[in-house]
Amino acid sequence: MSLERIDTGAWREAIAAHIGDGARFVGGWAVGDEWRVALSAAGRETIVLGCRAVDGRVPTIVDFVPAAGWDEREAHDLHGLGFDGHEPLRALATHAADAAAWMTPVDGDGVHEVAVGPIHAGVIESGHFRFHVVGERILALDPRLFYKHRGLERAADGRSPEDCLPLAQRACAACAVTNAVAYAHAVEEALGLWPDRDLRVARTLLLELERLYNHLHDIGALCAGVGFAPGTMAFAALKDRAQRLNERLTGHRFLFGAVAAGAGAFTVDGPTADAAREIVRELSADASAAWRELEFATSVQARLGGVGVLDHGAATALGAAGPAARAAGVHSDVRSESPRLWYGGFVAASPRRATGDVAARMELRAVELETTYEALDELLARPVAAGSTTRSAEPRSVGVGRVESPRGATLAAVELAHGRIARMRLRTGSYANWPALAHAATGNLLPDFPLINKSFELCYACVDR
Amino acid sequence: MFVLLRQLARTRSRLALPRGEVPHSLALRHVDAGSCNGCEHEVGLATTPAYDLQRFGLDVVASPRHADVLLVTGAVTTRMAAALRTAYHAMPEPRVVAALGDCALGCGLLGDRAEFVGALDDVLPVDIRIPGCPPTPDAIAGHLLAWLDGTATTG
Repeated sequence: MSLERIDTGAWREAIAAHIGDGARFVGGWAVGDEWRVALSAAGRETIVLGCRAVDGRVPTIVDFVPAAGWDEREAHDLHGLGFDGHEPLRALATHAADAAAWMTPVDGDGVHEVAVGPIHAGVIESGHFRFHVVGERILALDPRLFYKHRGLERAADGRSPEDCLPLAQRACAACAVTNAVAYAHAVEEALGLWPDRDLRVARTLLLELERLYNHLHDIGALCAGVGFAPGTMAFAALKDRAQRLNERLTGHRFLFGAVAAGAGAFTVDGPTADAAREIVRELSADASAAWRELEFATSVQARLGGVGVLDHGAATALGAAGPAARAAGVHSDVRSESPRLWYGGFVAASPRRATGDVAARMELRAVELETTYEALDELLARPVAAGSTTRSAEPRSVGVGRVESPRGATLAAVELAHGRIARMRLRTGSYANWPALAHAATGNLLPDFPLINKSFELCYACVDR
Repeated sequence: MFVLLRQLARTRSRLALPRGEVPHSLALRHVDAGSCNGCEHEVGLATTPAYDLQRFGLDVVASPRHADVLLVTGAVTTRMAAALRTAYHAMPEPRVVAALGDCALGCGLLGDRAEFVGALDDVLPVDIRIPGCPPTPDAIAGHLLAWLDGTATTG
């Protein structure tokens, strides 16, 4: 990874040239009076471009990189950066009283608004949805998040990089390992450290344990979305078994505390690894049987097809990530290019039909679970040592880590000054996918929204931070 | 569907949960005031067959108007404070507030202080304290039941 400084006047041309070369936007952040954009291309290192704000403003790229929309809106609200040409620059993190400041303007005969949240009917995180509907048909959806904004990135300013891992990890319980590993990778890259084999194995095991319980949870949540209680309950029980395994291996049901920056923090002895391997085998047999039942449950299947479609074009333009993107035929999974982890020969999963609808997103979880069972079986075949890092390169001012969470590619970036954090940025798979979810809901029936929402199953906590 | 039900039956018999012999009930309304989503996951699981909170007369309801207990997770962010107070005032009296998890209890708060109103104590009167990061479904059920038993004996 390298930081390339661009003259502000040449900013748009520079980004456009990289996008033209096949790079994808993977995150933007403000630091002081500078603006950064991270770009990733298959088979190449993530690059970071930077430019200086002139009178507090930089040129927008949102007209040809829609995926940067939320990053620019956030930088405006939380860091006071202006974006020339991003019109209207709607509020994202700032909760203005004036609805026009953050809502899509929708007008016409019979259009009305349905406001949902921030408190929802179930046990769900806080966030607000504003639907514009005609009858039951959704014309537009404005998600308004950041109700849970805790200033986690700001809290890292001026602290030592090793101390700030909990800020990234606890941004979100369901993505705790991904966030922590992405942060650790960013710090290690900035400090010129490389993880040894043991550390790569240990972190990969943790990431797949996280994927296991999350994918089981997400399939159960989808059953809840169609009101199929036996499926909801069966997968909730399976998820609980996966979390009991987490507790047995790491002492914590959400795997908290098992990752450190620059060092190993987690071991598994031989007998425990053997027992865990057996638990995963039993769990995979039961989960596969339960999944087959869902495939033949007509009342479930009838609800999934053609609903909440995110097509390939929209998924690419909006920068969708993870299962949502793969279900739309975007063949992208950071696991296939993660030299700091233990994913040799990994191939991204794809659904039987990349229809980009609820059915495809649900099926993709089941397909990915197969890979996860295999990976866990292999990783637990021998004891797991903590591992460590060794100095492999000169320290530099910027480090970036990208890790595939159960919801998609998560980026963590750190900028260091005199050994302290000058900026920490966490852009999770959920963050990347929220605009895609809003897009996928458009044109569908309002009563199908819970189902569409659950098929993405995005976190609020790691978006709000 | 029968495979799913058989699997559930097997789970239930393996866990051998004791029958809940509680002659009263509590309706819970959950509000996330700024959590990391860990507490939500565990409350969600508490109502599924592996824990079965309902056998003790405890259940989650959709509206604060139907609730006895406001079950609050997370330290209270500036952006959630108003909605939290609205939910509290929408509850019928007598109403009870439970702080669920270390964040709601104000322990080891992560983040920028300026983004928080404070711990739940600073916003609402707290009756039940459920520590943990996050508390397990067992711990959630245990604390709620202990409180129920306490009121039953003193009241």
